[in-house]
Amino acid sequence: MADPAFDETALKPNLFQEKAGLFIAPIRHHSPACAWAVRDLIRSVKPKEVLIEAPIDFEAHIDLLLDRETKPPIAVVTLVKGESKSRRAVAYYPFCAHSPEFVAMQTAREVGAAIRFIDLPSGAKAMLRAKREGALISLTDEQHFGSGTYVDALCRRTGCRNGFELWDHLFEARLGERDWRTFLNDAGTYCAGLRAATPRETIISEGDAARETHMKTCIEGALKNGAVVAVVGGFHAPALTGDEDSLGGTDQTTKPAEADSYVIRYGFKALDALNGYGAGLPQPGYYQGLWDRANEADGVPDMRAYALDLCSQFARDMREQGHLIAVPTLVELLRSAEGLALMRGRKGVSRYDLFDAVRTALTKGEISINDAWTERFSDFLCGTALGNIPFSAGSPPLVEDARLRAKQNRIDLGDGARRRRKLDVHRNDAHRKASQFFHAMGLLGTGFADCETGPDFLNGVNTDRLFEEWSYAWSPQVEGRLIELAGHGDQLLDACLQELMLQRETDPNGRNATDIERSIILLGQGILAGIGERLPPFVLALEGDAQTHPDFCALGNGLQRLIYIARSKSPMGAPESLDLTGLSASIYRRLIFLMDGFGDIREEDVQRHLETLRLVADLLSGDAKDEFDNDLFIDAVDRLLSKSLRADVLGGVLAITVQAGRRPESTLIEALKGHFEGSSIDLEDRLGVLRGLMTTAPTLLWQSRNILDAVDGFISSLEEADFIALLPHMRLAFSALNPREIDLVAGTLSRMHGGSLRDFSPGAVTATEEELQLGLALNEALKTSLQKDGLGDWLEANT
Amino acid sequence: MVDQVIRQPAEVRFADELERLSSADSAPKPKGWSLSPKAVRKFILGDDKLNVSQKFFGDDPLVDRCIVSLMGQQGLMLVGEPGTAKSLLSELLAAAISGDSGLVIQGSAGVIEDQLRYGWNYALLLAEGPSEKALVPSPIMNGMRAGKIVRVEELTRCAPEVQDALLSLMSEKAITIPELGTVSDVRAIPGFNIIATSNLRDRGVHDMSSALKRRFNFDTVQPIKDAGFEKQLIGKQLAERMADHDISADMSDEVMDVLVSVFRDLRTGTTSDGASVAKPNSVMSTAEAVNVAHAAMLEAAYLDKGKVEGRHVARQIKGVVFKDDPEDDRKFKAYVDYIAKARSRGSKPWSDFYKSSKTGGDG
Repeated sequence: MADPAFDETALKPNLFQEKAGLFIAPIRHHSPACAWAVRDLIRSVKPKEVLIEAPIDFEAHIDLLLDRETKPPIAVVTLVKGESKSRRAVAYYPFCAHSPEFVAMQTAREVGAAIRFIDLPSGAKAMLRAKREGALISLTDEQHFGSGTYVDALCRRTGCRNGFELWDHLFEARLGERDWRTFLNDAGTYCAGLRAATPRETIISEGDAARETHMKTCIEGALKNGAVVAVVGGFHAPALTGDEDSLGGTDQTTKPAEADSYVIRYGFKALDALNGYGAGLPQPGYYQGLWDRANEADGVPDMRAYALDLCSQFARDMREQGHLIAVPTLVELLRSAEGLALMRGRKGVSRYDLFDAVRTALTKGEISINDAWTERFSDFLCGTALGNIPFSAGSPPLVEDARLRAKQNRIDLGDGARRRRKLDVHRNDAHRKASQFFHAMGLLGTGFADCETGPDFLNGVNTDRLFEEWSYAWSPQVEGRLIELAGHGDQLLDACLQELMLQRETDPNGRNATDIERSIILLGQGILAGIGERLPPFVLALEGDAQTHPDFCALGNGLQRLIYIARSKSPMGAPESLDLTGLSASIYRRLIFLMDGFGDIREEDVQRHLETLRLVADLLSGDAKDEFDNDLFIDAVDRLLSKSLRADVLGGVLAITVQAGRRPESTLIEALKGHFEGSSIDLEDRLGVLRGLMTTAPTLLWQSRNILDAVDGFISSLEEADFIALLPHMRLAFSALNPREIDLVAGTLSRMHGGSLRDFSPGAVTATEEELQLGLALNEALKTSLQKDGLGDWLEANT
Repeated sequence: MVDQVIRQPAEVRFADELERLSSADSAPKPKGWSLSPKAVRKFILGDDKLNVSQKFFGDDPLVDRCIVSLMGQQGLMLVGEPGTAKSLLSELLAAAISGDSGLVIQGSAGVIEDQLRYGWNYALLLAEGPSEKALVPSPIMNGMRAGKIVRVEELTRCAPEVQDALLSLMSEKAITIPELGTVSDVRAIPGFNIIATSNLRDRGVHDMSSALKRRFNFDTVQPIKDAGFEKQLIGKQLAERMADHDISADMSDEVMDVLVSVFRDLRTGTTSDGASVAKPNSVMSTAEAVNVAHAAMLEAAYLDKGKVEGRHVARQIKGVVFKDDPEDDRKFKAYVDYIAKARSRGSKPWSDFYKSSKTGGDG
């Protein structure tokens, strides 16, 4: 190929050393073009051994990986014991049908070559390079492909936007060519260029040097038996040909940690997420399609037909989802894709040309950072395939961890029988741990255990109970669910955290926004499940949610729950290591921000909002007095008064400012009287201020004689007919009071009128014989009428 | 004479570059194009070998998509916030493809259908009746006859019925002139296409009908992604503007950082350290940032001691950007209260910015 990218003969590594019998195939993970060349190489060389860059301790799985029942995508997952017992690293080594490593193994079997894995054991430190806490670790990491000065320079020269497009442009476009020597040599040159632009210190510090030393030793050993094909990440190839001076990296200082590995079913979605961290080519569905077509054609696939098929399948999928793509639009899409490919000097339409064409042809309007069509297409190209493995594969680590924890908590899983367990969660630590295990299993949706009686901290029911009673049973369904969740992590507690994160994002009502109150309930669930100490990332995510949350009431209720969690000594209390002050501050700020919009709330939302206002005011004067800046809240409430407000909102808001001493009582009385005596035709409106007052600060009614006077004066002044008309509304307004408060108000009122509370007690009411008879007769008539209407049940339910 | 013109069209400004590209251009050209698509790309994105400067920054694939769009039947619609160089891009494309960026319709609420189709020289019309001589062709008609790219600026500012006139023009690629008889029409020759630019979010713009949308391929010109590059660009444009004034004002790097971060935070809705920010409706484009910097500089130079401080930036942002939307005012206030306040603890320009925003406003 005459591309200037490969002119640098100085970089060309000596990949095929026929005399020594060594053939090195530099590859990129999940690259069909590399897989194609590797297959041809092995078929033509027919080596004694095929060496693959995969952890040496995975060799035990080779037979399983090549089993007839095994269908990629699959992955080998390894659990590496960390320094502390609780933190184990989990890393994945995925295989697709078009992964060069997988194809190499298949072809090795075909030509009767032995298969060996030659990388360091998966427990070696050099293998586990988590870029950030909690990230998925991939054992097929190849971050060097994405960026760097060499890639940038080549991109500039070829007009590609990034390393992925560049790779597709230079290599994937050559899938199906028969000349494996040129292809692998070009790939080798490219990778040597990447390597030359990477500082030696980085290669050593990232552990690559140590791995290369190990691989080199393995290759030298294997060469004694005959010809060898070594399939390795392109980045390592120059170190293995003997051209490069040894970097002397060894990993002798630390012994590899113990690791257990398992073969699990994998999916394209999971693979794509893993590749997001730079572990190979993304969107496996697209490359799988390319690979299949190359195999069908037994040569270069028809890229034009593939683009056509992809686009029409995409249009069909979208139509099913309700996004119509008209035929002329589809034609324009394909025309654009081909035009772009032509202008960019490609052999056929590439993935990036398709993306650009989708954007050009389908988007009608302005797009922000995330274009809906690009995302849909990206999802489509990712594919949905799920792999399969035979039953003999053994159970994955999450299942083992759940069993282990059950055993530690003395929970019997010996058979599938349903058993019961009573736990003293407040006083007995071991019992509390067992309860956490049950809660964790519940959180994961395994259906393993039910809490039959006991305190329900999440809903605040029966929280005074001391004991929890659980019934539990281990079933295939429980195990199935855990296997399903294997991608969440290897440990129950890790899986719980992942599950919480997932549930936070998926709204059961199908809305997009995350509901903060629900998320805080999830937080409580997490603490009950005993993962409090791992929750900081979750809390951080909630902080972000709070900053843009649109619903005042959800925020207020969420804040109340959060303060409970932060202060409670119950099993749902936050552990000391979990700092919730940032989250509560963030919710508080958002509450204050949203209050400025109170002028525009809809009628049906008023009551909710006023109740939340009271809740916040109560929190600030009670439980959370010292935690927040109370003035910010009162300022915001006070600011509202400069706007024109509905009567009930005005009443509620005024009452709070009066209660806080910000405004004099007289303003509230003025407002009350103003509305009572106002000219509103609708009687209900005249009660508005009172209704607001009763919702946000009912205590004012018995604490302030003047306010009560004003209310009393209004009611006394009503005509009989108006009084009857207003009665239902007044009942509603006064229903905000609890029985004790009713007593207080009634007492004050009766004293005001020169009587006492006793005058209203049942014994104090006297009726004549006649009235009693009339009452009884009415009662009977009512009963008969109800029964006649078929509503007899109403009577019985009350008796 | 030439020196008197404030701004020459692109084909004049870059005549030598176009000349070099044209003589080196061996790739096949679409019919009616004066350069091949590859050469058009080089003209806009630069080419070191031919000493062609880069004129549009930050989104190479966008330029590819635009060029390919123009080769097809669909028109090209460039949308995006004001100040993202949409008009510049359309001018460059027209200059490179047709060698002429002068066929322009400057859209506004006052544009009428005649300006899209054709008008009449009424004196001649009355004297001689309808004739080819009395016809006043529109830029679109001229573009059809000559096979050139026509630009329609601010299309969404035109009234919907005027926009409608484009519908059949674009699908038929012809303008009929019934006044001149039944068979009289102007049919476009290859090379004709339309580049429209528009702003979909500003006030006073009209919605586009879906029929019209179907005739265009849309591409959004995004604000510049790289903060460092944006800062550099602002500095460059600022220097150009200040060259007209005989004063010196000094804007330190830290103050420039404050300005660029405020604009980027509010534009993207997230700060560089990940805190989320309520996005205002006002336009927070690079061009607006230049306006604010320019105004702050003038204020510092003419009305203050000459050194630009955080407070100048704060005052000008309020005046230049947040003009009349109370909702935006709330959002800016929240930004000042939570983000600027936190930053003001460690930095003098931020603290100056915070204090001035806090007291200089209406609170």
